[in-house]
Amino acid sequence: MSVTLLYIEDDREIGHVVSSDLREREYGVRWLQSGEGALEAAADSQLVILDVMLPGLDGFTVGQRLKRAYPQLPILMLSARSSIDDKLQGLEFADDYLTKPFHPDELAARIEVLLRRAGTAVSEPLALKHLIVYESDNRVVQADTGHEIRLTGKQHQIFSYLLRHLGQIMTKEQIYEAVWGEAYMEGDKTLMVHIRYLREKLELDPAVPQIIETVRGIGYRVRA
Amino acid sequence: MRGAERFSKLRSSLLSRYLLIIIAALLFLPVVLPLTTIVYDLFNRVDAEEQPKDAALYSNIKELEKLWHNEALLLQGAPPEVINQRLHELSGKYSRATVFWVDGQGMTRLTLGPAQSVQEVQGVGGPLPVHWTAAEAIAFMKQSMKREPLTIVAFVGDKAEAGEGFMVMQIPEAVLNVVLGKSISIWYGLVLLVLFIAFAVVSWLFFIGIRKRLLRLQTAMTIIGPDGMPGAIASGKPDEIGRLEEAFNTMVAELASSRRRESEEEGLRKRLVSDLSHDLRTPLTIIRSHLHVLTKEKITPQGQASLKLMDERIADLGVLIENLLSYNLLNSGRVILNRERKDVFRLLRESAAAWYPLWEKEGFEVDIDLSDKPLYWNVDEIWFRRILDNLYQNIVRHARSGCYVGISTEVRAGLRVILIADHGQGLESDSTSKGAGLGLTIVDLLLKAMELDWTMDSTQQGTSIVIFNQQQEI
Repeated sequence: MSVTLLYIEDDREIGHVVSSDLREREYGVRWLQSGEGALEAAADSQLVILDVMLPGLDGFTVGQRLKRAYPQLPILMLSARSSIDDKLQGLEFADDYLTKPFHPDELAARIEVLLRRAGTAVSEPLALKHLIVYESDNRVVQADTGHEIRLTGKQHQIFSYLLRHLGQIMTKEQIYEAVWGEAYMEGDKTLMVHIRYLREKLELDPAVPQIIETVRGIGYRVRA
Repeated sequence: MRGAERFSKLRSSLLSRYLLIIIAALLFLPVVLPLTTIVYDLFNRVDAEEQPKDAALYSNIKELEKLWHNEALLLQGAPPEVINQRLHELSGKYSRATVFWVDGQGMTRLTLGPAQSVQEVQGVGGPLPVHWTAAEAIAFMKQSMKREPLTIVAFVGDKAEAGEGFMVMQIPEAVLNVVLGKSISIWYGLVLLVLFIAFAVVSWLFFIGIRKRLLRLQTAMTIIGPDGMPGAIASGKPDEIGRLEEAFNTMVAELASSRRRESEEEGLRKRLVSDLSHDLRTPLTIIRSHLHVLTKEKITPQGQASLKLMDERIADLGVLIENLLSYNLLNSGRVILNRERKDVFRLLRESAAAWYPLWEKEGFEVDIDLSDKPLYWNVDEIWFRRILDNLYQNIVRHARSGCYVGISTEVRAGLRVILIADHGQGLESDSTSKGAGLGLTIVDLLLKAMELDWTMDSTQQGTSIVIFNQQQEI
């Protein structure tokens, strides 16, 4: 099933090029040139790409209305305005903010991240080196043997968090605070211990991790 | 018309009111004292009318003494009967006085006067002796010195050598007191006291009034409303303070209107910057999107390289626009920083995490060595990330040849500092993407705004930037 993106952009040229590019990337694209009809169109969309400067209702207002109507729907603001105030205003309701002139690849990468985070793009199993991850039913299996790897609750939460941010480096503070829901304390080794056990289960050779990569001095990353 | 206005101004002036009080104070003694004396005299006259008619006879003691000595002189050589008769006459006139005379032989010849007075005389100095001895005469004179009663003694013939004796007039104290009018002197004192107190009270009230209004003004100036402006105050009298209050109100109104104008201008400026940003970025986005379309076409490797270069330049232009607009806002002081206590190591890690994929793609060696112990500084998180972005951007654009980025911490001069280093060819090198140094200017402005210091050491072997906080950690 193809993912449908609602793309609201008033500039015909940009709208045309961007929607063609997104279609080539196998997304269904519904392009509107103003905020009119956005609420109806968003009903069967999995993500909204919203320009700020629109005729009639501006992007912020349209975005706020969409978020109120569909709280789970990820919104990516696309703007040619780059002031901090605009970004802050946009991020009050939007999930991400991309400034023009953006590279189509960057837009596609961000869409991918947002869809993954929202759980929209997880219907298909994810192949990670020697593993296959069924995110929708929380299963991790060895690709060659089909043997399922059982993870504890915390291990699963850590792994899911890293998968939701696939390709991104997450700092230990970010992982700890997302999984444990409390502020990271200086010198806390809990996360390291959990990751060690997680690697023992996931990696072929825990001493040379291939799945959960350590980025020295910063944090951890799971790469596709 | 103008004269009347000036007079009204002068009348309502604090200065003229103050001068009036000062003049009153200066004139107080020379004017008020004679005035009270006149009032006293008037009182005296009124009082005198109320006194017994003969009270005036005793008002002037000197006159009485003179009269008595004259009478004594006139009686020189007069036989006792004449003296008796004259004394009878005088006693008739001065009925409230006691009169007696003693002849040359020391015999008391006649004693006249109100019985009570005689008794008093007798009570004070004892009964008058019938025959006076020297001792009795001296005792009598001594007693008379006290002036209670007032005793006037004159030798008959007004000289002692005449040897004709002496004649005495004694005026009781009560009669004299009536004449002196003690009650009036109490009134006089009271009036003076009241006038002094009134003067003090008027001065006090005058200054209390001024003080109260000045304090009210001070309070109005100090208390700042929710809009950050002091409120207007109700102006009272049209004097100097009243005019000051009006001037203050005018100033507040002007300040408010200036603030409003400033805020409108700020809004306009922001909108202009936003619109400008939009107008510049939109065509760039279109060009970039079309370039991307072109890359999918069959083009020679040289063409692909050109497209890539164009794409990079567009990205650089985007950054330049961003910096230009930020610089415009920062330089005009329009940026409000929201500084909070933040662990800057955490911000460094998160920022490096975002940049890492690009460094990786460009083949950079990334060396991050930050302590686990947090370093808390008072920074605006968003703008601090912006500082780091600008520094990392510089490394990617100008120090690509070094293929190295190092983010570490060190202790220098007792301060924990942040060190961001590259192995590029330094700032003096001719980088193909050399700009106007706007990125570093923004870094400088932002660090200054966050009360942080920084130094940069750039050689052909690389550049290292040290960021430190003179106030140490918080």
